[in-house]
Order: sequence, then C-alpha cells, then structure tokens
Amino acid sequence: MTSPLTTGADARTRKGPGGVALSLALLPALAVVLILFGGGFALGIVQALGYLPGAGLGEWSLAHFARVLSDPDFLHSFLLTLYIAGASTVIAAGISIPAALGLASLSKRSRVIHFIFQMPLTVPHLVIAIAVMFMLAPAGLLSRAATGAGWIASPADFPLLINDAWGIGIILTYVWKEIPFITLMLLAVLRHTGRDLLDVGRTLKADAWQRFRYITLPIIFPALGAASLIVFAYTFGAFEVPFLLGQTYPMTLPVWAYKHYSDIDLMARPEGIATGIVIALVVMAAVILAQVLTKAARKRGLIA
Amino acid sequence: MGELDLKNLRIDYGARMIIRDFNLAVRNGEMMSLLGPSGAGKTTILKAIAGLLAPAAGDILIDGQSVRDVPPEKRDAVMVFQKPLLFPFMNVAQNIGFGLRMQGQPGREARRHIGAILALTQLEGLEHRKVHELSGGQQQRVALARALVLKPSVLLLDEPLSNLDANLRQRMRELIQTIQSETRMTMLFVTHDQSEALMISHRVALLLEGRLRQVGAPRELFYQPADPEVARFFGGRNFFQGHVRDGKLHSDLGVFPVGPQNGNGHVRTATIRPEDIRIAPRATGQSRGLRGRVVKTRFEGSSTRVVVACGANEVMVLTPEDAFRPGQEVEITVPPEKIRLFPGD
Ligand SMILES: Nc1ncnc2c1ncn2[C@@H]1O[C@H](COP(=O)(O)OP(=O)(O)OP(=O)(O)O)[C@@H](O)[C@H]1O
Ligand SMILES: [Mg+2]
Repeated sequence: MTSPLTTGADARTRKGPGGVALSLALLPALAVVLILFGGGFALGIVQALGYLPGAGLGEWSLAHFARVLSDPDFLHSFLLTLYIAGASTVIAAGISIPAALGLASLSKRSRVIHFIFQMPLTVPHLVIAIAVMFMLAPAGLLSRAATGAGWIASPADFPLLINDAWGIGIILTYVWKEIPFITLMLLAVLRHTGRDLLDVGRTLKADAWQRFRYITLPIIFPALGAASLIVFAYTFGAFEVPFLLGQTYPMTLPVWAYKHYSDIDLMARPEGIATGIVIALVVMAAVILAQVLTKAARKRGLIA
Repeated sequence: MGELDLKNLRIDYGARMIIRDFNLAVRNGEMMSLLGPSGAGKTTILKAIAGLLAPAAGDILIDGQSVRDVPPEKRDAVMVFQKPLLFPFMNVAQNIGFGLRMQGQPGREARRHIGAILALTQLEGLEHRKVHELSGGQQQRVALARALVLKPSVLLLDEPLSNLDANLRQRMRELIQTIQSETRMTMLFVTHDQSEALMISHRVALLLEGRLRQVGAPRELFYQPADPEVARFFGGRNFFQGHVRDGKLHSDLGVFPVGPQNGNGHVRTATIRPEDIRIAPRATGQSRGLRGRVVKTRFEGSSTRVVVACGANEVMVLTPEDAFRPGQEVEITVPPEKIRLFPGD
C-alpha cells in the first residue's frame, strides 16, 4: 500500500524544467502500469460484456452485468463487503486518532513506540490472517488458554470469531494492520503544523476541548479522510483475508468474483469478471477521492 | 489596564539556561520594544509571558496579579507569532473571529468587532479570502488583527514585520504605532532591528545573551549606552581608552574636556559615534584636527563609511559626502561633547 501523502511527488515536479525531465524519465514505468492495469481492465470489460470466443461466447451484451447486479446473492455479498470494509475502516480510524494525538504529544520521539507502530506495516496481510486464525480459532491459542485458565468449560464454549457471520476475524486482522498506517499519516500532519497552531489557539483563548474540536480535527481531517479511503479501498478489494477467515455464505465480493471466475462452468466466468469490475470501480472512486483530499491538504500547507 | 511585571525570571530549555535574572516592568498603555540579536531569547520570553513556557524561577504579573498558575487561554495576554500561523482551513474573517468564537461571543457582535478590526488593519474586502490566497504582508496583518480583536491587556508581538519588504515594513510599523496610540494597548514588541525599536517604542529593553542589559527611552539607549556592548549593538564602533585627570580625558585621540568625574586617574573606556566625527581633506594651513589616512571606504547611499588610520588607532567615520578615497590624507575632528565616557567599575 502506498501512502497518498508521498505519491504527490509528480504534482510538485511538474513545475519547472526539471519536472519535465523527471516526468519523461517516469514514462517507461508509467507505460508498464498503464498497459498492465489499463489493458487488463479493458480486457476484463470486454469479457464481462460477453466476448469470450474460446468459450463459445461471441456476442456482446450487458446481460452478464445485469445478471450479476440482479442476483440477490450479489447484493448480500456487496453489503457484507461494505460492512467489513466500513467497520474495519471506522474502527481503525477511531483508534488511530487518539493514538496519533498521544504520539504527537510525546516531547521526544520514542523509538520503541515508533517501531511497534511501524512493524505491522511490513507484515503481509496473509501472514496476519494466518496468525489470527491460530489465535482465534475454536481450537486456537486463546480458546485453549481460556479453558486452561478456567474461564470457559471447554474450547467449544469459545465464541466463534473466525468464519463467523460478523466477520470478526477479518475485521480484527484489518484493524490491527491498518491502525499503524492511519496513525503514522496523522502523526506526520500533527508534527508538520499541529504544535504551532495549537499554541496559537491557546493564546487565542481556546480551551483543551475547543483546541481539539476547532484546530486538531480540521488539521487532521484531510489526512484522516485520505487514509481512511485508502484503507476502505484496500479492504473492499482484498481477497486473501476474507478467503481464509470468512464464512462460506455469504462471501465477500472479491471471494465471490474469484469463485465465479474459477468455476468449471465457463459460463460463470463473465459474471466473475463483471463482479471484479464493480469492485475495481468502487476502489477507484475511493482512491480518487483520497487524492482530492490530499491535494486540498497540500494546497493549504497542512502537509509537505 | 495592562501592566506587565517580570520578576527575576529564569527560563531553561532542558539543562540550558536561556534567560536569567530578567526583570522588566511595562507600564499600562506603554509600547515597549524587546530588542536583541537572533538567539538572544526574545521569543522565549514572550512565550513565557503568554504561558506557553513555564519559567524555572521568578514570577510574571499582569496588573499586579501573578499569572504563574494561570493557563495561556485564561491569561489576558495575546501573542502574535514570528510566522503568521493562520488557520489554513479558515478564511480571513474566520481567522480573525477565532478568539471571539472561543469566548462564545454572539455572531452579530463578533461580526461588528471583526468589521472594525478589518478596517483598522486595512484588510477590508479580503474577509472571504482563503489564507493561502493572501500575500505575506496580508497574512501578517490578519495575524495582527486576530490578536487585536480580543483587546487583550497585553499584546505580545514577536517580530511581526520580519518577513516584509522595506516598504511594507514601514507601512505596517506605522499601522501598529497608530493602533497603539489609538487603543492605548500595552504592547511588548520584539525585534532584532535597532532602528525599528528606536522608531516604534516609548521605551526599549535590550537583551543580549539572555540578560537584560539596559532599559530606557530610545534616545537614552542610543546616546547613553550603559556599556560598550550596548553601544556596539546600536552601531557604536570607535572605542578608546584614556584616563581622566582634572576634568579632562587624556587619550591617544587627544585630550578632551569631559567635566568633573570621579575616579581620577583610572583607565576608562570612551566612545564616539561614527556620524559625530567630522572629516575633511587635509588642509595646508594650520588646523587643530587629528591627522590620518583613509584605509577604506564603504558607500552606503545617503552616507559613506570611512575608516581612517590615526597613528595606532583606526577610527570609523560616517559622512554624508562621498568624497574620500583610500590612501588620501585627511583630518578628523572629535567634538568633545559627543564623547560618551562609560562609568568606571
Ligand atoms: N525548543 C527549544 N529547545 C531548545 N533550545 C531552544 C528551543 N527554542 C529556542 N532554543 C534556544 O534558546 C535560545 C533563544 O531562542 P529564542 O527563540 O528565544 O531566540 P530569539 O531571540 O527569539 O531569536 P530570533 O530573533 O532568531 O527569533 C536560542 O539559543 C535557541 O537555540
Ligand atoms: Mg524569535
């Protein structure tokens, strides 16, 4: 995952002759991205529109989109995915705000705390999902520990936390993984402008709550919005965590798309791709919105 | 009311003592400059008065009341920072109205106050601008307006003109002066620019390396500096030694009447300002001036700085005439009444 606060390099390099040279130098990399992503996307659209000659499907139509969108199971999946992504994002953001404020108020940067916060950023989601599985499964570490401690009579009494209807295992995985990401983004903003503006607020008679409400929140809002949208986009489109920790029905959209695409019935494949395109559209909308917020923040000098 | 009293203030950053034994009393309605070079501790003192830094020792009194235990938001002192530090997510009017809003002032009354301050700081028509659409000078004025609108007992200004060009600087300085004389607000104005301090304030306090060196009216600091370092800060360059005997200073530069003095016979330091020395090409006839030779010159526009070697001494002269060249033989005259003799120790 890349930080939207660092992807803006092009916006600054665009100015001046040096920027042009840099843009030219980036062209090959851009071309690769465009061909791979854009090409794949175009190919996907073509297939979703029913053009799959190898499978004897040669006609163009919106029928697959229509079938996907009118399928009640699709709606279930869509709502489940929305719920999981939304809940993960809201919980992670809710914890990140006090965490960032706490870190920013430390007079000296604590390396240990920073290390603890940076660590989850480097661990792949898949690894965390497997760790969560070992911890929270009905026969997992926590359940056995609770039994051993006498809190529950047998592992069977342990609440269902993975492959459960509420997606608790999935959400926990995402929350653990995304808190550091959001927190560090907020911390950067608070360090950049926060302290001085809070001092100004103090001499202008704002009490602690007013400083939080009228200075801190507006300062962090663009970064909080951008980071949350990125997290939302990621959790909406991610496959491996719900695949491992989710229940069999309803599935999240990415799992549903994968199931259809890899179905032995080739007729299901366009539907899988159509679903994938729906996911891609949601993700793209979130990312574009995140960029808009980042741009606004930069214009106001909230971030470098 | 707005009386500010700083008593035996000591301020530390960690183990480093930045300010020590600082005593200063600013009178109600006074415009006082806190003057000092970069790093002297001026901002540190203002932050302590505003409550953003806790002094290690000493006390701060506003209108006779100690404010040591009063948090910044409750102190009747508002600080304008070195940088404008406007709230980027608010427009001009919202920035100016911030303090009023925090105090729960109703919208209509607040708008009236904001309107009056906009006029006073010549910001009319800009109230709906976003702050990143303002020039540096406009931003400084918004920062000033944002503090003025609260009508604090004491206004603390931390080099509010430092980021402006010479023209705008003068206009803003006059603006602040006008506002001060109209509102009679007590102001502590920090600057590192000696001429700015002399122009703007009723009294000047000179801070060197965390210590208060002299407080007084502008002319007092300029013409009667307490010691050579103060004189040097105000552009004094010619320091020489001599001893006083029978009301006369005997020195390398000559013998000058200085009036009755204590400490007959002791070595004392004296100074004469470069602009007080008269310089002329050496005349052929008889003269009572000191003979010397021009070492170098520096053209400064309305005046020229000339360094003259007189025997073992180098004397700096500031003259309105751009008529001297290195190597030239000249004659300088030191008017005795312009000599400042520092008190002996
Ligand atoms: N947060 C800080 N931590 C440690 N030392 C500091 C801190 N802020 C300032 N200092 C030191 O305290 C001294 C006084 O700083 P201060 O900012 O008060 O100077 P100043 O007179 O305002 O200078 P300037 O005209 O450059 O603004 C300087 O030596 C500075 O290095
Ligand atoms: Mg300063």
